[in-house]
Amino acid sequence: MRISSANAYDNTIETLQRRQSDLSDLQTRLTSGKRVLKASDDPAAAARAERALAAEMRSETSQRSVDASQVIVSQTESALGDAGELLQQIRETLVASGNASYSDRERSQLAASLKGMRQQLLAVANRSDGAGSYLFGGQGSSQPPFIDKPAGVQFSGTSGRLQTDTDTELPLSTDGAATWLNASTGNGVFVTSSALNSVSGSEITGATVDAGSVSDPSALFPVPDTGYRIHFSSSSTYDIESYSLSSGLTSYESTGTYQPGVAIDLHGMSVTVSGTPTTGDQFNIEPSTPTLSVFDSIDQAIAGLQTPNRTTAQRLQSTADSLRDIDASMATLNLVRTAAGGTLNRIDNETSRLATQKLSAQTTRSNAEDLDMVEAIADFQNQQTGYEAALKSYSMVQKMSLFQYLGG
Amino acid sequence: MGTGALTSLGIRAMTASYAQLQTTSNNIANVNTKGYSRQEAQLVTAGGQFTGAGFFGRGVDIATVTRAHDDFLTREASLSTALAAADSARSEQLLRLEKVFGTGEAGLGFAANQMFNAFADVASKPQDLSSRQVVIERAGELARRFAIAGEQIDELQGGVTVELKASVAQVNDLTKQIALLNQKISNYSGTTKPPNDMLDQRDQAIQDLSKLVQVTTIGADDGSLSVFMGAGQALVLGSQTTSLVAMPDPYDASRVAVGLSTAGGNQALPASLLTGGSIAGLVRFQSTDITDARNLLGQMALAVGLQTNEQQSLGIDLYGQTGAGMFRFGSASGLPVVAASGSSFNSGSASVALTLQSPSTLSGLGVSSVQPSDYRLTADGAGGFELARLKDGELDTSFTPVSVVNGDVVEGFKIAISGAAAAGDTFLLRPCGTAALNMRLDMSNPKLIAAASPLSGTLGATNAGTGAIGAMTFGSTDVAANANLPVTLKFQTTIVPGQYTYTWTNAGGTTTVPNVWSPGQPIPYSGAAASDSFSVLITGVPVAADASASPAVTSDTFVFGANSYTSADNTNAKALLGLRDAAFVGAIWNAGTLEPGASVTDAFASIIAHIGVSVQSATNSAQLSADVAAETEQARSSKAGVNLDEEAARLIQYQQSYQAAAKMLQVAQSVFETLLQTAGR
Repeated sequence: MRISSANAYDNTIETLQRRQSDLSDLQTRLTSGKRVLKASDDPAAAARAERALAAEMRSETSQRSVDASQVIVSQTESALGDAGELLQQIRETLVASGNASYSDRERSQLAASLKGMRQQLLAVANRSDGAGSYLFGGQGSSQPPFIDKPAGVQFSGTSGRLQTDTDTELPLSTDGAATWLNASTGNGVFVTSSALNSVSGSEITGATVDAGSVSDPSALFPVPDTGYRIHFSSSSTYDIESYSLSSGLTSYESTGTYQPGVAIDLHGMSVTVSGTPTTGDQFNIEPSTPTLSVFDSIDQAIAGLQTPNRTTAQRLQSTADSLRDIDASMATLNLVRTAAGGTLNRIDNETSRLATQKLSAQTTRSNAEDLDMVEAIADFQNQQTGYEAALKSYSMVQKMSLFQYLGG
Repeated sequence: MGTGALTSLGIRAMTASYAQLQTTSNNIANVNTKGYSRQEAQLVTAGGQFTGAGFFGRGVDIATVTRAHDDFLTREASLSTALAAADSARSEQLLRLEKVFGTGEAGLGFAANQMFNAFADVASKPQDLSSRQVVIERAGELARRFAIAGEQIDELQGGVTVELKASVAQVNDLTKQIALLNQKISNYSGTTKPPNDMLDQRDQAIQDLSKLVQVTTIGADDGSLSVFMGAGQALVLGSQTTSLVAMPDPYDASRVAVGLSTAGGNQALPASLLTGGSIAGLVRFQSTDITDARNLLGQMALAVGLQTNEQQSLGIDLYGQTGAGMFRFGSASGLPVVAASGSSFNSGSASVALTLQSPSTLSGLGVSSVQPSDYRLTADGAGGFELARLKDGELDTSFTPVSVVNGDVVEGFKIAISGAAAAGDTFLLRPCGTAALNMRLDMSNPKLIAAASPLSGTLGATNAGTGAIGAMTFGSTDVAANANLPVTLKFQTTIVPGQYTYTWTNAGGTTTVPNVWSPGQPIPYSGAAASDSFSVLITGVPVAADASASPAVTSDTFVFGANSYTSADNTNAKALLGLRDAAFVGAIWNAGTLEPGASVTDAFASIIAHIGVSVQSATNSAQLSADVAAETEQARSSKAGVNLDEEAARLIQYQQSYQAAAKMLQVAQSVFETLLQTAGR
């Protein structure tokens, strides 16, 4: 075939240019380290890299949420630790106040120290996270959430808790009402309390009742809205009565003989009355409710200690009741603290999960768009050799012309 | 026979050799001339002289000078050049368009994700103004990136318009040249000798023309060539030309259409008739690629903007007010309004405007969200209109046209028509064409981010089950204005084991009839007013009151009321963050069921893939057609081109024959002299 000289030159020049541009293209990739510089280099990989980038950012975002939660939860955990110590001190003070040799004055001194501790406890409940929100603020609250009112400390806010986004769902606050104000009254199942003497209408002076225990869980409170009463018809006999919690309507159930220190069994509950009851003394047994406020318990203990001229039985009853209530509140706080510990643990797991997720997203992205350096360098050398060969052959071929040999 | 014959032979041979040397030298001189075809002097014997001894040759004659030429190869080269030019024009433009859609950190998907992710920090600290400020900054960045992308596409369109106009002018120049050459060539039609150089020039002009627009040629007896384009529109007929014109698009003056200037005025050529040449590539890029890019970009801008605005409107900001829109499209806040462009041929006075609808309006009506398409509205003259979807600038046959009247909501927008349209008036509707260009941030105060929900739900203090409050759904923040709040949700078991019913008790003490609860389904609450209604998802298993159980079991309760502490709440911020995963881009209703679209990430990833594939295939076909063109050109030039080695050999050959002819004269002279000497003695 004839070769047109001009066309041959054109073709050679174009081939050289193409090789050169390939070489420069590969060099750009080598310097940037990316195989996919624009979408058209590999559309599928570019789309995959785009998704992986979104996943990577998402992991980073979730990690920020986790960090935010960790700050709050660890502060909450430490606040609950402080509260536990304070309650322990309160408990010790209460135990000390049971000392029979103390006078009314000594007891009111103890009451004063209890007041101080109560203020500290309130400050713990109102602790802020240092950035404008309250650790125990629930879903939102007044500032601060716990307010000392004449009727006792009240939570003014929405119960529940704030959470981080749906990917992590970690707490950003703790339900203050449930933590501080909603412990179970009594022993957790029922509440025993001494009522006023039905004959004299004054407080019971000679007998006390313990917190009781459950003897048969299946027999507890068979009828809704009902409480039971141990009503002494004499110093040695008692009637068991039931009454409606809402209307107070009383009905007789059975009669028993009183033996001091021997438990009275009724409806799966076992309650012990001690001391010397008088006719008309009565003790109520009601279902436990989640309404026990730690502040109310302390307030009652303080009021008990400040009341002068009480009988030993009265003092015993109020100390026992206060200890029971403080213990119940402590149990609730400990439960919340355990939950906080569990959350911190979950945060650690979440952090490592997110790190793994991020790494896998980065790997996907890198696999999609990064350059295989070894392969690329080999390619580059290959192309370089090719280009050199092209240049050399061109320089040789262009010398070959018949005119070269027709000199002279 | 005298010596005259010998001299005459020598002279003829010298003339012939000289002519051959001349054509060879001309070939060498024109080795690099574009379109030049190798020429050759054709020799014939001068015939014989009859004598008694037979015929004596009288030497050589120059018959003519021919050019090495192959009509088929020349036509083939023009055609492949036309296709290569179309492909390369489009692929060059597409490479520019691709840069509008940056990938990775430079991309729009990244910016949108960054904005949504920033809501996670607002959710972590709703009162913190700095994390709110980050959202504002990110939202501003997103709007800017959309607007810049829109501007870049506009610039590309501007470039295409300028290039098309210039190309049209070049075409008209070339057709005039061809007509002139036709005329000159036909002047020589009386002679039998071809005007080689003019033919070459004409071929070259046609080759140049093919780079701009694909043409076919038909030769006439007088040697002139007629040039046709597309479906037989004549550009050159003999020495007459028809001009191409770059006409403004009847709907959009920033675009141009290619037309022919005829006696009856300018007539637009449909894009489908332009099959080759850079003009075809540019027109295709304009009608397909730019439109697609604008619409895809606009669809995403609208989806992100409107969905964010709507979620904002369902929340409460730090001032306790219903959240304001975060983005606007154009100068006014609120739902974007786009004016439709009427055709410049319309005779009626109607004008059409579109109002893009909020996602909740659309899902309420069961209408698909905005699609990345243009539409054409054709008036029937009696107040009715027909709406058809366009694809690549022509009617989309897969879309069944729908009849619409003023106020109808279709395909994500509401049509408002004012004035009277004459029958046959048409309007071009581009619901998302300008959205990206016009996207702006519409919020500067970080306190206006609506992070809180108007409703709050709490669990009853005695709840023993694992039931928790999931998503609360409502139509507007007016839900909190219901006088009957708080309302209490309570569960009971039924006689069927494991089946629960629920009741609502409002603040007035009114309790609803029990309804069966199916776990995983939202529980609706209907208030007196439509705006009071909401629904809530209860996750986990609540404990339900069981009358037959002993001891008695009490119901778990869930209380819903107006949110009293909105500054600390993050519910709506979490919902805004949730838009990151929501498949809202391009959701469509199909026979009563909603087919979800794509999330922002997926939508952007598929735009990237779409553009990437377009560029890749355009580059590949440009490469392929360039190779084909190079090959046909090589085939043509191997026939018509000059090879220097060949010419060098010929030069020597003709030089030697010239020398031999000269020798003949010398011999003739010496023969004559010998004769004179002999006679002179």
